[in-house]
Amino acid sequence: MDVAVRTGLLAIAAALAITGSALATGLAQGRIGSAGAGTIAEKPELVGSVIVLLAIPETMVILGFAVAAMLILNIR
Amino acid sequence: MLVQMAKIQIIGTRNVLDRTVRALHHAGVVQIEEKLPTVQPLVLDAGAARQREEITLLLARLDALLTLLPKRPQPKNISALYEGEAARPANDVMVDSKNALGQLDAPAQDLVRRHDQLEADQVTLPRYAKTMRQLMPLAAELAPLKNYETVALLVEKKFSAVIEMLRQQLPALTNDQFELVARDIETDTTAAILVFPREHSAAIHSMLGRESITQVRLPDELTNVPFKEALATIQNRLATIPKELEQSHRELDALADQWRTRLAVWSAVLHDHLQALEVQGRFGATQYTFVVVGWMPRAQLPALRDALAQVSDEIVLEESRLSEHEREHAPIVLSNPRPARPFEFLVRLMALPRYGTIDPTPIMAVFLPIFFGMILGDVGYGIVVLLGAWYLMRQSKPGGLRSVSTVIIYCAVWSILFGFLYGEFFGELGEHLFHMHPYFPRGKSEWVVTLFAFSLALGVVQISLGFALGIYQAIKLRQRHELLDRVAKVIALIGIFAMVGNLAYALPPGFMTLSIALLLVGVVLLMYTLGWMGLILAPIEILGVVGNILSYLRLAAIGLSSVYLAMVANKLTERFEDALILGIIVGALFHALNIALGILSPTIQSLRLHYVEFFTKFYEGGGEGYAPFKREGIR
Repeated sequence: MDVAVRTGLLAIAAALAITGSALATGLAQGRIGSAGAGTIAEKPELVGSVIVLLAIPETMVILGFAVAAMLILNIR
Repeated sequence: MLVQMAKIQIIGTRNVLDRTVRALHHAGVVQIEEKLPTVQPLVLDAGAARQREEITLLLARLDALLTLLPKRPQPKNISALYEGEAARPANDVMVDSKNALGQLDAPAQDLVRRHDQLEADQVTLPRYAKTMRQLMPLAAELAPLKNYETVALLVEKKFSAVIEMLRQQLPALTNDQFELVARDIETDTTAAILVFPREHSAAIHSMLGRESITQVRLPDELTNVPFKEALATIQNRLATIPKELEQSHRELDALADQWRTRLAVWSAVLHDHLQALEVQGRFGATQYTFVVVGWMPRAQLPALRDALAQVSDEIVLEESRLSEHEREHAPIVLSNPRPARPFEFLVRLMALPRYGTIDPTPIMAVFLPIFFGMILGDVGYGIVVLLGAWYLMRQSKPGGLRSVSTVIIYCAVWSILFGFLYGEFFGELGEHLFHMHPYFPRGKSEWVVTLFAFSLALGVVQISLGFALGIYQAIKLRQRHELLDRVAKVIALIGIFAMVGNLAYALPPGFMTLSIALLLVGVVLLMYTLGWMGLILAPIEILGVVGNILSYLRLAAIGLSSVYLAMVANKLTERFEDALILGIIVGALFHALNIALGILSPTIQSLRLHYVEFFTKFYEGGGEGYAPFKREGIR
């Protein structure tokens, strides 16, 4: 395959990897955040659990980032 | 570590009840259990019940008075004063505080009321003065008349038609006996003054109310005074307020100097007495004896036994044997080496560990700062965070904030160490300015894979440690189900690692069969542990563990984002070649943003790795806090 096309495809793939995972994380965190705010208002002692719940979907974007980084590193 | 607790029973004759309660209160180590099912609850005698009511009332008055008096720094001998008063009989303290309240309550309240009024006047009178000054030119046109009332109105200019409407309605209401002058006083305000005989007062005020016309209201004492006089009065009053305020401040301060410490000590002592009376509601009693059941750290048993022996030889203290149910509900006391203690609140934030399980505080104290340091990893940022946390620690009292700042100090030290490793000082600024040599330039693309591998390796270490602790705990607590679950996952994980090793040609090809076999054994064992649902859940659970390890990639990813932000800050500064100062300001702002993110993000991510990835392998929450019956002391 032509090098330029290959490079372009890799760059698009990397962008897709981070876009999809970031959107998914954002969507999940938005919902957890609003529910968490309600929880803390009623039971402030649950703040630890809420922080953890809020951080859980971040794994998605981090894995997306890792994949994107791997793809970018493949561009020569 | 969790402190070993003992469940105790104290039985004594009722004639030594008061002295026993006092001894327990002073020892401050026994958490007294709620009502006992087997014996009748102890009922306070009439005298004690009356005393409890009186103390409750006295405390309400004392605490109200304390809120009125300005705060004073606590004298150095406050503990001695408290102990001195605590040693006196409750009735004597009650009499003294009652006398003091009788003497102080009314004058203090008067003083505070006067002070508040003065402060309110200082704010409101200038507003009246301003309005009146605006109305003065109009007032000058009207001669002061006896038995006539004057009303001032301020109307927004766009509603000034209202004044014309008044002019049409007033003749009928007042038999033509009125005067109304109006003038624009500001660009958007029209002022009007209306004078009419007092006999029509009610009718006119009701009309003004009906038409929603706002009158200029003056303080009561100025309502019937001519405008000029009223304005002069307000100005005189404003001139004297600062002096009067100063005087009332002085008087309040004098009162606080003389009484506050004494009142605070009495309040603390009476709170103690009230607590000692109320706790007896949880005791059990027969006609001649009382019984107390509670929890205490086992190490303190001999000391309490000695203290009770000194009270009387008619008190028996014995340790009960714990049933399985009781063991699960023992209160939790965390006891860790001094350096690890600030991390205890992070464990509490999640939940207290259940009695008999592992307290993860010391492990957290080791890993959390390393994770934080690995993510932030910048000498400059580390120093800024260290100085900030150091300042916060010096300023804060022992407790929550001091623990937080101490944890951040540990984290900042690791950031500095990793900063040297990465060769970062405010990003790559260190390399340019001081020729810092990066041993591990994580921002360079050829090092990214190494950084990922290092993060995953840390994940493998911590998750393996978690499983090891989980297996140890399951054996210790004889939890067969948990033991099988964890062993199965470890076997499957070893299988997966071996497979990856094979695929990466790190292991001889013959190992592939063995690794697949290990994975299968792990999955089947987990299926067996989970029951028929295991057919679906076991593969998911094992994938979850792999996900847990991959989650440690965040150590690399979040750190890289911080590196890139720092790079952006420095690049931006370089762009401002012609206006270097502006460039430095922009760069500094960016770095400040990065530091703020650099404290928040690594903290949350490191916490999450502990709570979600590490704790789930062994941690059992649900422990109950330990709240011993003890003197609260002076607050």
